[in-house]
Order: sequence, then C-alpha cells, then structure tokens
Amino acid sequence: MTGEYCGSVFEFNGSAVPVREDLRLAYIDLWSHLGAPGPTLTGSQRVQLGAHARAVREGDTPPWVGLPDSLLKLAATLFRNPAAVDGTMVRGTADEVGDPMTVETIAVVSMLAAVDGAHRGLGAELEPLPEPAAGNPTGEVAEGLKRRRTHTPMPPGAIPVALDLLPAVGKVFRTSYGPQYMTETEMDFANFRRDPGLDRAQIEIVSSRTSFLNECFY
Amino acid sequence: MLRESAIAFGYHLNLTAIGDPSVAIGVPGGDELLRFVDALVTGCKADREDARTAIMDSLGPDCLVDAASVFGNFEMMNRVAEGTGIPVSPRAVERMKDTVELPDLDRLSTSSESH
Repeated sequence: MTGEYCGSVFEFNGSAVPVREDLRLAYIDLWSHLGAPGPTLTGSQRVQLGAHARAVREGDTPPWVGLPDSLLKLAATLFRNPAAVDGTMVRGTADEVGDPMTVETIAVVSMLAAVDGAHRGLGAELEPLPEPAAGNPTGEVAEGLKRRRTHTPMPPGAIPVALDLLPAVGKVFRTSYGPQYMTETEMDFANFRRDPGLDRAQIEIVSSRTSFLNECFY
Repeated sequence: MLRESAIAFGYHLNLTAIGDPSVAIGVPGGDELLRFVDALVTGCKADREDARTAIMDSLGPDCLVDAASVFGNFEMMNRVAEGTGIPVSPRAVERMKDTVELPDLDRLSTSSESH
C-alpha cells in the first residue's frame, strides 16, 4: 500500500468510529487505481462508470457516459444486484467491447462496491469519486488466456486470479483484501485474530452471511 | 473457513444460523454480526444504526470497523465471482451443505457451473 494521494483523503465523515490507518490507505490506493487510466479505459471513463453505477443503484438518472449500453448495463447490474449477472450478459458484453474492457468494468464496479459497502457499514458518507488522471489506456493485457468454464478468460486457479487477464488490475485486487479481510498469509491460520478487532470466526460470519445474501458462494 | 476457525477458538458453532439468523450461532457477537449484514443489505437507516450500536456494545468500536471492511470486501469478492463466472469448487459446495437449504444449494451450484 502506498496511500499515494489521489485527490481523496478518506475522512469517513459521519462514521460512528475512527478507522484504522491501514484500511484508510488501502482505500486511497483503490481510489487512485480507479481514477487512473486502465488497460482499456481512460481514468475519466472509469470514474464515469462508477458514477453511472452509483446513480442507478440510488434510483437517480445516471449522467451521460460515452460507453456502449451493454457495458453500462453490466456495470449497473453488477453493482446493484450481482446475482442477476449471468454468462449471457457478460459474454454479450464481451462480444461487443472485448474481454479486456469487460473485465476492467467488472473490476471497477467490484472495487467501488468494496469501498461503498464499508462506508455504509460505518455509517459514513460515501467518498466522492476520485479525480480522473490524464492519460491513455495502458493496453496491458495478458495473452494466451482462455475461458475455463468461466464468463471471462483467466489463468487456472481460484478467485485471487480471476482478474488476471489484466495483470495490473489483478495485482491491485489481491493487495486490497489484506487490510479489508485477511492477507493470504493470515488466511493460513484458523486462529487468526485482529488485535484489537474480530477473530477469524467472527470475520467468517460476516463474509458468509454477505455471500449468502448476495446468493454467491464466495 | 468458519467451521475450522470456530473449532480453533473453542466456539460451539451452529452453522445453520448463516442461512437462518433467527437461530443463535454460538459465537460471541455472532448474532449481532449477522444482523449487521442483514441491515446493510436489506435494512433501513434505523436498522443500520441499531446494528452498529449492537456491535459496539457487544464487541467494541474496532470490531465495527472490521465488520464494515469485511462486508465491503465481500461485496467486492461476490461481484468479481459473479462477473467472471469463476466456478464454485466441489469443496465450497461441500462446505456450504449444512448452511444452505438443499434447494438453494442446488440452484446456486447449477447457476455457477452452467457457463
């Protein structure tokens, strides 16, 4: 984590409790990532996707975004009701815009859901979306990957590699869940406990019930 | 996983509470954590405030931060899983068998493995 300044400071206005610093830095890193040019989208397009998803979720009229309708529909549906997303929707989007842009959209919306979800949990006002950084898309896409009974191409493995069609995005994803949940090393210990904080059984209660209500095994 | 971590801490876990929070889960603060997640997903503002207060009273303010961040993390993980269509592993299905009613399990398993 760098906590590199991205125009947002994450003050968690309205939170019932103070927030630990490693978590604040993790969210700043996610925000910096969201506002920066991605593999196929500019920083501005990524922020617009986030604004669109937020608006649809709140029942507001989303701002105009110059991206294909199928991509916007995927973003909004995944953000509001992930269980409604299926292979037909994802593959239809990928047929129109390509797998890399589809995966990038899934990543943007998912990371936004992490930050917004935690703010709702804390009772804090949602963080304003980051200022987009200038620049063109990086074009960094892994080659040779294929679908493995999955909606999108990915390497063999479990969910930590699910976004690795876009290597830089996959790296940010994996880095983010240490402060939010547990690092991969901490996951090796059934008796892990944040001190002060929840023990692993209590952590798994939150994760299990969240997944249950989202109709997802993860 | 939840079963193993409950054993590690000596809790008398009732896994069915994950699918039915009206059942006591047998972990300190666990019932409050279940209600917290429910309030975030389906509750109103007052439900969420009550749920936060219950966690602070039963577990303390640091645990509210952890609960909120874990919830956020799984809002992300669930969307990555659904969006990419990563298959549910047989181990995960086996693990969930005593927390999810069989019809629900069959539906979730089928929808995840049909692509």
